[in-house]
Amino acid sequence: MNEETARILLAHGNGGRLMRELIAGIFARHLGNPLLDTDADAVALPRLDGEIMVTTDGFTVQPLEFPGGDLGSLAVHGVVNDLAVAGAEPRYLTLSALIEEGLELPTLERLIASLADAARAAGVAVVAGDTKVVRRGEGGGLYLSVAGIGVKRAATLDLRRVQAGDAVLVSGPVGDHGIAVMLAREQFGLSGELRSDCASVLPLARAVWELPGLRFMRDPTRGGLATVCHEIARATGHTVVLTQASVPLRPEVVSVCEMLGYDPYYLACEGRIVAVTDASAAGELLERWRAVRGGEDAAIIGRIDEAGARVILETELGGRRVIDELEDDPLPRIC
Amino acid sequence: MPERIAQFITIGGRVQGVGFRPFVYRAARAHALAGWVRNANGSVEIHVEGERAQLQGFVDTLLNEAPPLSAPGPLAIRPCASTRLRGFSILDSTAASEADVHLPADGFVCADCLNELHDPANRRYRYPFINCTQCGPRYTLITGLPYDRPMTAMRGFTLCAACRREYEDAGDRRFHAEPIACPVCGPHLQFVSGDKTLSGDETALAAAVAQLRAGKIVAVKGVGGYHLMCDARNDPAVAALRARKPRPAKPLAVMFRDLDSLRDAVHFDTDDAALLSSPARPIVLLRKRNTNPLSAAIAPGLGEIGCMLPYSPLHDLLLHDFGGPLVASSGNLSGEPVLTANAEAQARLRHLADAFLHHDRPIVRPADDPVYRRIAGAPRPLRLGRGLAPLELELPAALAQPVLALGSHMKNTVCLAWGTRAVVSPHIGELDSARSLDTLARVAADLQDLYQVRAATLLVDHHPGFGYRRFARDSGLPLAAVWHHHAHASALAAEFEDISEWIVFAWDGVGLGEDMSLWGGEAFAGAPGRWRRAASWRPFRLPGGDKAGREPWRAAAALLWETGAPAAFAPPALHQAWAARLNSPGSSSVGRLLDAAAALCGICTEASFEGEAPMRIEACASDIAPDGTCIDAAALTLPLAADAQGVWRSDWAPLLPMLADATQPASRRAARFHLSLAEALVAQAKQLRGDTGIRTVGLTGGVFQNRLLTETAALALAAAGFSVRLPQRVPMNDAGLSFGQVIEFLYRQHTKT
Ligand SMILES: [Fe+3]
Ligand SMILES: [Mg+2]
Ligand SMILES: [Zn+2]
Ligand SMILES: [Zn+2]
Repeated sequence: MNEETARILLAHGNGGRLMRELIAGIFARHLGNPLLDTDADAVALPRLDGEIMVTTDGFTVQPLEFPGGDLGSLAVHGVVNDLAVAGAEPRYLTLSALIEEGLELPTLERLIASLADAARAAGVAVVAGDTKVVRRGEGGGLYLSVAGIGVKRAATLDLRRVQAGDAVLVSGPVGDHGIAVMLAREQFGLSGELRSDCASVLPLARAVWELPGLRFMRDPTRGGLATVCHEIARATGHTVVLTQASVPLRPEVVSVCEMLGYDPYYLACEGRIVAVTDASAAGELLERWRAVRGGEDAAIIGRIDEAGARVILETELGGRRVIDELEDDPLPRIC
Repeated sequence: MPERIAQFITIGGRVQGVGFRPFVYRAARAHALAGWVRNANGSVEIHVEGERAQLQGFVDTLLNEAPPLSAPGPLAIRPCASTRLRGFSILDSTAASEADVHLPADGFVCADCLNELHDPANRRYRYPFINCTQCGPRYTLITGLPYDRPMTAMRGFTLCAACRREYEDAGDRRFHAEPIACPVCGPHLQFVSGDKTLSGDETALAAAVAQLRAGKIVAVKGVGGYHLMCDARNDPAVAALRARKPRPAKPLAVMFRDLDSLRDAVHFDTDDAALLSSPARPIVLLRKRNTNPLSAAIAPGLGEIGCMLPYSPLHDLLLHDFGGPLVASSGNLSGEPVLTANAEAQARLRHLADAFLHHDRPIVRPADDPVYRRIAGAPRPLRLGRGLAPLELELPAALAQPVLALGSHMKNTVCLAWGTRAVVSPHIGELDSARSLDTLARVAADLQDLYQVRAATLLVDHHPGFGYRRFARDSGLPLAAVWHHHAHASALAAEFEDISEWIVFAWDGVGLGEDMSLWGGEAFAGAPGRWRRAASWRPFRLPGGDKAGREPWRAAAALLWETGAPAAFAPPALHQAWAARLNSPGSSSVGRLLDAAAALCGICTEASFEGEAPMRIEACASDIAPDGTCIDAAALTLPLAADAQGVWRSDWAPLLPMLADATQPASRRAARFHLSLAEALVAQAKQLRGDTGIRTVGLTGGVFQNRLLTETAALALAAAGFSVRLPQRVPMNDAGLSFGQVIEFLYRQHTKT
């Protein structure tokens, strides 16, 4: 194989032969489905059996492939998860790929194949797409922009329904993605067994959509658990109280955080759900999650308290530590 | 007939809550004068009529014989029309609107009350809440001003006939003693253990003493909050307290019955004794005797013990009945404000205390025990609290608008300032906890209410992550940010009259600096409002950020890695992260240099409390230098060179091989380290004197709480012809930051106009 066939060239984005071959050879080949017509300007979708929900998201990660996932599957899960926690059954995706000149074609193919696998597993079809090539140095290898269309299944999920006394749950350990990606990026000798949690939460969400008492769900991504809690606190005016001992954390995540001085509550997840539910339904929700693959380590991690609009971590010693909103770069404060 | 004249006198200063009106009353009667006296907001107003000579004598008495707790300001005297009054009276207080309020601090139990307390014939015999105009709680029970009983936590206790007689009798020493109480009408003790509750002062006290004798831990409600107390001689009791708190090594304060019983445990001189017995009854750090009756677990690895005398009648009785020294540790969770409410203490200290000794006098606001250490010839406050707070200070110039300075994230205090006045709150704590932030909000509101001043601007540290940032944003007030070490330097400079050009060394843990690195070893030239960073240390990067403050081995690794040397004790992956600049901010902190040295000497590699490594390395060095001179140790001379910005930087690198040389005893290495730091300081000072001509040197920042370092440096500076200044009233650690922010802001304002 010579250099021209192995890497993305600017010419792959000029609308000519190379671009046609790229779309046919990688995108259409892996993503092909009856609705996808790479020659059409727009696609007509069959009538959907309910209220339509739409979401869109952009994806970038370094490195493009990491233990437990890659950019391709991440892009599908990100959009599928946003629909799932909002109470929608995902159906269709659109994909826009911004490819950096010089990206190896085999890498691109692996990422798109992974994206296709993830889409198939989640039962969604990619129905429209676009590719662009940007000059070397102007993109991180590959950026993906994905829109998702789904059908609303859970009617009542709403942040405004959250009340004091409600319980807060998480579907599994937090921070795996943040640490796995960071270790892969920095190429530390200790990447070990830790894998990203990157996954579809659709089965977990489906399991509880119909649960009476479920108020609200969100998938923590950037900014992690702490940031979701802040969103809840800000929107409701209530205080979110987490009990430190109950928040599930993998020992590997704990030890890397200890060593590098990071706070696991701010680390990104890509396959978890934070749910708020009427306290009386918390046990049922927990049981349902634990019965689903990926929900085995689900836990009740806290509660919604009266006023204050802040996030507090109750420590094992009875301390009540304030979890601040994420700052750019947490600087040391010990004087 | 002699001429009859009338005068109207106003006196400001500390004149309320200190028995000043009864004193005026007695003085007026003694000079056969007619008229009246009353409390206005913060000042006392007097109308007197009589013979000119008697009036003169009266004014002399006011000036020269004021009650010991008072600190009257200058008298303003103007003639006024005679109203032909007969007799002299005390009028009700007026609440004027233009406030010049002074808030009295809490006082100890005075000698007269102590005598009554132990006099079986007295009606207040062994009554734990005895007080008079010259003693007793003030700040912690005031709900509003002017200071009158309805504006205190005592409003719910209706005076009995006997107390009312004393309260209303101008000749009685309890005349207008606002917290006056007796066994008939005042507060009482309550003992709680498990589901057992005992009432009655003697019963409750006896039960508490029995628990203490049995080696149990008792939470005792005092003046400004709860203490956790146990027998200071009982190893298992002290060990249990440490295990439960958990506080494996942080030194515990000890309360002694009197100076005599203190003598067995620690060394002290007459100055120490005077400080211990002063009205604030502070904790004083004193060098422990080689053989002493205390448990070795009181202050493991340290040469000093925090000692205090009983400050309230309750503590006097407790120590008297118990008959030995008691651990008196703040009844709180680590870093949080001391607990004040019975139910909350009962709930939150349940896992720490075997029993509770409550009382039903409400504590309106918390005040922890104040702490002093004598350094370089004078007592230096390390913590403001009960008896010292609120600390009222005079500003060197007037502020255009009232401001509230929010201080630091650690050892937080706030400072309200308006006109030429500044008031520093008691110690609030570390702002990581919800309770600390709630207390900060309450104290901030409280000070503004009591002094009837509304801040127009909030002063904050430049650090974006300090816990009060959200409180500040939510206030809606304009914020002005002050650099951490500028505030340290300004707080010191403002304690002295001659604010001109200074060289100030601000050495501490870390604070955000102008170049966004973590400063903590800086020397500034200039004056408040225009400090210029003139000297510092060779920078190094701290692996793990804030973790480095708790794990001294990280700072040690940072120094080794910076010089290209390996650090076998640190994980290789951390080195990789450090090399990749992952969470490894740059610093020039001397606090972290002390950490690194303690780790390299093997004295302390993990800190169980803030400041442990610097305290332990000082104690270790002092082992061979009890008087501050190191017999067998010489300083290493550290290179000093200007960096690209013209900042002089000392290089710590030559210290590393010396510190790591395990063939030498740790104490010798620790001593050489201290001497070398002091020598580097003097070398920087000389360099800056050469550059600027400035001869006044200030030392401030938490690092200078290290007596060995500070005294060595101060001696050498003085020998080199410098005039050396250290903080005297405002803590040199971050508790002084709020005051420094006010000064820095004030001067910035003045240099602009
Ligand atoms: Fe500081
Ligand atoms: Mg998203
Ligand atoms: Zn008294
Ligand atoms: Zn009475």
